[in-house]
Formats: sequence, structure tokens, C-alpha cells
Amino acid sequence: MPYFNIIKWIVWKDLLSEMRSRENISSLFFFAFNVILIFSFSFSMDRDMTLALMPGLIWVAFGFTSVLGLGKSFLSETSNDCLSYLRIAPVPKGAIYLGKLIGNLCLMLMVELILVPLFIVFFNLDILDKLLPLLFVMTAATVGLCALGTLFSALTVQIRAREVMFPLLLFPLAAPVFISAVESTQGVLSGDPFSFYRHWIELLMIFDLVLTIASFWMFEFILDD
Amino acid sequence: MSPIESLVTVMHKLIKILRRFEEKIGFCAALFIFAGLYMGLIASPPDYYQGEVVRIMYVHVPFAKCALLAYTTLFLGSLFYLWKKDPVVDNLCHAAAGVGVFFTLVALVTGSIWAKPTWNTWWTWDPRLVSFAILLLILIGYVMLRALIDDPRKEATYAAVLAIIGFIDLPIVYFSVEWWRTLHQPMSISVRGISISPEIRTPLILMSIGMSLLFIYMLAIRTQMLYLRHLLEAKQGGLLSEPERRLRDDLS
Repeated sequence: MPYFNIIKWIVWKDLLSEMRSRENISSLFFFAFNVILIFSFSFSMDRDMTLALMPGLIWVAFGFTSVLGLGKSFLSETSNDCLSYLRIAPVPKGAIYLGKLIGNLCLMLMVELILVPLFIVFFNLDILDKLLPLLFVMTAATVGLCALGTLFSALTVQIRAREVMFPLLLFPLAAPVFISAVESTQGVLSGDPFSFYRHWIELLMIFDLVLTIASFWMFEFILDD
Repeated sequence: MSPIESLVTVMHKLIKILRRFEEKIGFCAALFIFAGLYMGLIASPPDYYQGEVVRIMYVHVPFAKCALLAYTTLFLGSLFYLWKKDPVVDNLCHAAAGVGVFFTLVALVTGSIWAKPTWNTWWTWDPRLVSFAILLLILIGYVMLRALIDDPRKEATYAAVLAIIGFIDLPIVYFSVEWWRTLHQPMSISVRGISISPEIRTPLILMSIGMSLLFIYMLAIRTQMLYLRHLLEAKQGGLLSEPERRLRDDLS
């Protein structure tokens, strides 16, 4: 089977099972909704404060949601011993990784897309004209999170205490994603010209590229054993 | 014999050599550290700007260097393990991570104690500080991960993957914080460029050599300990993978 077909089938399989059960997307959405509600209880903010805190709040919410969503990515493969079939399937393991990565990316982006209007409503944001650059930043950062998250999901799914270990491994390594995502979101929301936060976007791209290649390469060892 | 096979034999020989010389290495480490401490704490004068506070540098700098040495050992060992799957190298990696946690933690704590009188803060968003904090988290994650996997072969492979990803990630962490800091807090650090005079350089070099020897000594002891445990487990059948073990239990 050609390489891209394998990726396509894995993505299709993941999205189809998600479409049918709607298990992940609804639980992720309600979890993030809860986080946003807690934020709006916890901080009573005026306009300036909202702008100052918003990038951090957005990425704390997305970060927690990604732990929930990405951690489950390979959990679904444990039922009926699907993981063993993936392992013995006569296809390159890298293609499985890329398929899983793209599937996770679609799921996370969908959840984030639903969450942005909630942020706008609950914090009275006036960002309709900045939506496009914001979406771009979100996509760039989510690729990095998913690249690491997919690898660690495959790694932690077969160990004890996986729910605890997954964020413990993901968060320290994803620190550059959070730093540059928060900084570039700050730039977008406060209406700075693109050149002010261009280097953060570049850093995100570098992170995405390097970590995707490294995880792609390492995934083979995880699924081999 | 292929070059790879001979390399593996070299690793096993290394264990034997370490066994023979570990006491001497430990003795030399103690000698250098005592000489360095004497020169650093008693013989050398206080620094012109920092006063007596500078003396913590004689401990802090060697510890930080050894922490990086530990992680480099871990990274190279992990690459080699994924390539050759040699259990001795895996024991070496495991030992390097454990020793690395100790060195990183001490480097962070001593750095923090030094920073309070010098920068007037325990913690600042300096790239080195943050990279070391992340390094500590990765190493602790590594040790925890190993404790949570039952199958020894899986444990070794997963841990090696984590170590390699972490090593690739660290420079990005460093640069992300450096950009952040230089853009947002241009004033903070003013102690860059301490010119090192011989009175300060000599104890620093002695301590660095001593600490590196101490690191090798600790690494040797721990590697041997883990290797012996590995042998013991192999004798008890622990080397079998989980399904194999289940099969054995079913058969008996």
C-alpha cells in the first residue's frame, strides 16, 4: 500500500470512530468549558487585565484539554488488542505515527475552534478582526503539542499510572510551545504588527519540524517492542 | 568480529575495568575535592564585587557541569542502546539518569542560594535556570517512567526514547527562554563576564576535576549495582517479557 494511503486510512479510521461515538470531542469540550467557567469565576477582570491575562488563560485551557485528548489517542487501540495488530501490520510504523498525528490534530483543532467563541463570549473579547492570525498561531502550536503528545500517548499507554505519567512527560518538553504560543497570542490580541511576534511563530515552526521528525523516528522503536 | 560486536565487548570490559579502578577513582575524587574546597573556602580571597558569596561558585559550577555530563552520557548511551540493545549500556543510562537527578538538583539549589544575594531573587527567567529546571523534570520523569514499566526490554526502549527526545528538546527550551528574557527583561543580569583570576581559577579547576571523578565513581557504582540486579532478575526469570512470563507461569 502506498505510504499516503496508509496515513489516510489511519486518519479515516480515527475520525470515523470519533464521529460515531463523539466520545472524545464532547468530553473535551465540556472539560474545557468547565475550565473557562472556573477562570471567569476566579478572575474579575477589566478590559486591560483581560488583554494581559487572556493569552495565558487560553493556553492553560488548551494545554489541559490536550492532556485529556492526546492521552486517550492510543488508549482506544488497547481494546480488542488493536495495538498488537497495528504492531504486526506490514506497514511502515512512521505512517501509523503520521496518521495518528493528523487524526489528533483534527480533533484538537475542532475542540479549539469550538472554544474560541466561548472565550469571546465569557471574557467579552473584541477580536473578530484578529481571528485569522489567531487561528494560525493556534494551528502552529497545536501541531507541536500533537507531535509530542502522540508519541507519549503511544509510550504511556502500555505502562502503569499512565494518566499521571502522560502530563508529567508532556508538559516539560512542551515548554517551548507554551512560551511561544502565549507570546504570539499576546502579540495577536494586542494588535501588534506581525514583525513583532514573527520570531515566536518561527520558533513554533522550528519546534514543530524538529519534534515531528524526532518523534516520527522514535515511534518505530516504541511500536517495535 | 564486526566493529559493533567489538564495541559491545568493550562495554563489558569497561565494567570490569571500572570494578578494578573504582576505589582509586573515588580516592582521587576525594583528594581533588578536598584540595579544591580548601583552596576555594580558605586560601582564595573573596571576590571584589560579590564578596564571600562567590565561594558557592566552587560548588555550583562543577555540579552544573557534571549535570550536563550526566545528560550527555544518558543521550549517547540511549542512542547506543537503541542501536545495539545492549543491557549493560541500558544500566549505564539508568545510572546516569539517577546520578544526573542528584547533580542537577544540587546545581539548581546552590545556584538559587547564590542568586539571592547577587541578583536579589531566588529565581529569574534566565535561560540557563529554566533549561536546568526542565532538565530536572525530564530526568525525574525518566526515572519515574522506568519504575512504572514491568517488562525490562520495554522499559529500556521507552526510557531511551524519552532521553533522546528530551535531549533534542533542551536547546529549543534554552532559546525560547533566551528570546523571551532578552525581549522582556533587558535589565536583569549584570554579572556576566566575571574575569577569572588565578586565585579563583585554580580551585574551580580542582573542584571540576574532582566532581567529574566523583561523577564517574558514582556512575560506576550505580551501573554495577543495576547490572547485578539485572543479572539477579535474569536468574529469577525477570528477563522474560510479560507474555513470555505469563506463558511460563501457565506452564508450571
